[in-house]
Amino acid sequence: MNRKMISLLLGVLLVLSIASMATAMGDGNARKGKFLYRKHCRTCHGDSASDLSPNSKTQAGWTATFSDTSKIQCSPDWNGVSEKDLNDIFTYLHDFAKDSPTPAKCS
Amino acid sequence: MAKDNMKLSRRDFFKASGLIAAAAAGSVPVLGGLEPSLAHAAQSSGEWSSAYSVCDMCFNKCGCIARVQDGVVKKLDPNPKFIKSRGMLCARGNAGVAQLYDPDRLKYPLLRKGARGEGKWQRIPWDEALDLMAEKMQDIRKKYTSCGHLFSAGADLQSQFVGRFAEVYGSYNVTSHESLCLLSGSRAFLDTFGEVPFADVLNSKYIIMAGANRFEALVTPDSIDLMTAMQKGTKLVVLDPRYTKTAALANEWYPIRPGTDMAFMLALAHVIINEKLYNETWIQDKTYGIDQLREHVQKYDPRFAAEECGIPAEDIARIARELAAAAPAAMIYPGRRTSDYKNSTQIRRSFAIVNALLSNWDQPGGLLAAREVGLKGVPYDAPWYDDNPDDRVDAHKVPMMFEHDGSFVLTRDAVLSGKPYPIKGWFVYKTNPLGTAPNRAKTIEMANAMEFMTVVDVAMSDTAWMADLVLPAPSSLERQDPASGLQGSVACACVVQRDAVVPAMYESRPVFDILKSVAGKLELGEYFDFTIEEYREKQLRGLPNAANALAEDGVYYNPSKVYGIYEDRVYKTLSKKIELYNSRYEGMGVDPMPVYSPPSKVPKNRFRMVVGRSAMVTQTSSQNNAVLHQLTGPNTLWLNTASAKNLGIQPGDTVEVASSVGRGELKVEITDGIREDTVYMLSGFGALSPQLSLIFGEGASMSAVLQEGYDEICGNAALHETIVSVTRKVAS
Repeated sequence: MNRKMISLLLGVLLVLSIASMATAMGDGNARKGKFLYRKHCRTCHGDSASDLSPNSKTQAGWTATFSDTSKIQCSPDWNGVSEKDLNDIFTYLHDFAKDSPTPAKCS
Repeated sequence: MAKDNMKLSRRDFFKASGLIAAAAAGSVPVLGGLEPSLAHAAQSSGEWSSAYSVCDMCFNKCGCIARVQDGVVKKLDPNPKFIKSRGMLCARGNAGVAQLYDPDRLKYPLLRKGARGEGKWQRIPWDEALDLMAEKMQDIRKKYTSCGHLFSAGADLQSQFVGRFAEVYGSYNVTSHESLCLLSGSRAFLDTFGEVPFADVLNSKYIIMAGANRFEALVTPDSIDLMTAMQKGTKLVVLDPRYTKTAALANEWYPIRPGTDMAFMLALAHVIINEKLYNETWIQDKTYGIDQLREHVQKYDPRFAAEECGIPAEDIARIARELAAAAPAAMIYPGRRTSDYKNSTQIRRSFAIVNALLSNWDQPGGLLAAREVGLKGVPYDAPWYDDNPDDRVDAHKVPMMFEHDGSFVLTRDAVLSGKPYPIKGWFVYKTNPLGTAPNRAKTIEMANAMEFMTVVDVAMSDTAWMADLVLPAPSSLERQDPASGLQGSVACACVVQRDAVVPAMYESRPVFDILKSVAGKLELGEYFDFTIEEYREKQLRGLPNAANALAEDGVYYNPSKVYGIYEDRVYKTLSKKIELYNSRYEGMGVDPMPVYSPPSKVPKNRFRMVVGRSAMVTQTSSQNNAVLHQLTGPNTLWLNTASAKNLGIQPGDTVEVASSVGRGELKVEITDGIREDTVYMLSGFGALSPQLSLIFGEGASMSAVLQEGYDEICGNAALHETIVSVTRKVAS
């Protein structure tokens, strides 16, 4: 395989990996995410853990936090939360972040 | 005169009661509930009691003290400790007693018996009313999903329960009054500064007020602070096509051509930037996009703006220099109602950008960030409904709608088209879109499209008149309300709450009780499993001193920071700076900086219609008040002297004002205090509901005449796009 071909393949792989990262987080169902956030996250956050709402971070902040969910302190406790549900939760937090077009109000 | 009028209104009341009785199928007319009013004239014990309350005559929520004698509220006094209103209560607030004892109030649940809007009602017992409401809500949910039911609520302390009910019931479709009022301004300032500011009018040295009328459309503390500031030498420049009372008291008034404010603001930016009249260090440090803005405003020089606005170029340049010299204690006043034009967000963005150039953010005399109030939310875990559609019915029509407020105009279109999905149920609490939304005929069609419509209100509003089920709510003096956090600009950040001053009259019930009962019937009782008292305790959990302060003073103040809030805070924008150039807009295909386009030309002998408020009444909600009605109404059509001459219209004539969607008849007020190409009428009046006996058929309703249009960025209504004809109907 010549060098040009390898570069091309690497390029394609890079694009695919970026695309898969993008589809992994975002474009979920924010409304479902709100329900799931309340169900899975708010049981601790706002009670025994830090008070947290979409308004706690910027959109970039949520994207950074969810870029590697294994680094989120409470992730070992997320039993039974599917990837799809996690993406919905991320979408909710991101879409109503403090610098979003509609920052969340408390509820 | 007052006495005579009160007698007259009672006669009207008996007459109206008789009509209701005649129309009621099998019900007995009940004239009870007049007792408290009659007690007014009875021998009194001479003993008084006093209780704190919160005024409900407009949205400002000023503190007041009710003076009660023999179970009757005799007088409302200001709460001297309530500094948001500077210890005052306005004339309209004083008339709150007449609202409480208004003989036109709704007294018991009414079920429509005739055609919608025909006015045939049957009195029914509460049990039946609540069963019916629950049954219909369940039916609609089964047939159309939960999103097939719309919920609309006004700016009331109990409106949060309507939102809560809608969410647990499963509907995304909630509209507030705000999409007929202030959303364009909120959008613009949020998209510039990352939050919606409050104006430090009191400490400002130079204020430009465009499209706002603060000495008549009262906002506390701004209206009072503006007067105080002017007494200390603050300069006020007013741009308004009409010689308002604010214009009359201003240092300078310019009758600007309606719809051209952006040209004026961009010209101010042009002068301030080109003459380097801004704080360069501050702008570099705090803002994003000064280079793009510099280039952008080059074409908008004062001569350009002069042509558009009808204001001399030398005055525009001078005002820019004076404004910049007073900075940072100088401002373009942000205003409140901004539902004017299709590009109102961009117009208000130009206001926000000039403020940014004045470096007035978070500074004395400038624009202030929201202060910490400390009131907590009361969380709940709403259920999830898999069968619901993906989004609101008004979604994806504009790029940046506020999720919590929606767009009434767009929602109405969706209801009428049945797309993207049908909405067939409507619950309305203390808001009156038939009197406030443009194109009333279309709102009537919207009501006609409903299978079931419930309205909860204190009086039979025009919207209630169109409902299937009308439920009487107590006035603010008869009920307990949740705590509410208020932003009082430089004056305060405070918490208020209400307790009943007198028991609820007639059969009225608070909307909280109604929703709690219906939630129970829909197996949603767990979401309303609390009392207002318990709810307030949760709201106040972070403020240990608040409950005592509320009991002792009627208000709690959080001594939070006023200025310098952003010293250690990042701006909530994409660039983390004040956005002269909006990077999100760019990504969405929206002009990242305001691009001026002239308003539509007004043909000869036609007029642009503008609307506004007075200090005495708040749209339709207090116009039927017996005291205020003596001072205001019916509304008139302001028409320029020369225009009237052209049309052969004489003082005192009745004229027809007509647009492509509707018409109204009212008396003309010929004046030099309005431009030749513009007419004005006060909002409200022209009521359709005969149960608003003082204003029924009196004057003309703006909602009947205004064409619908909406802000193309946020979906707020656009009320000043309508061109009308004016015709003499009846000679004086």
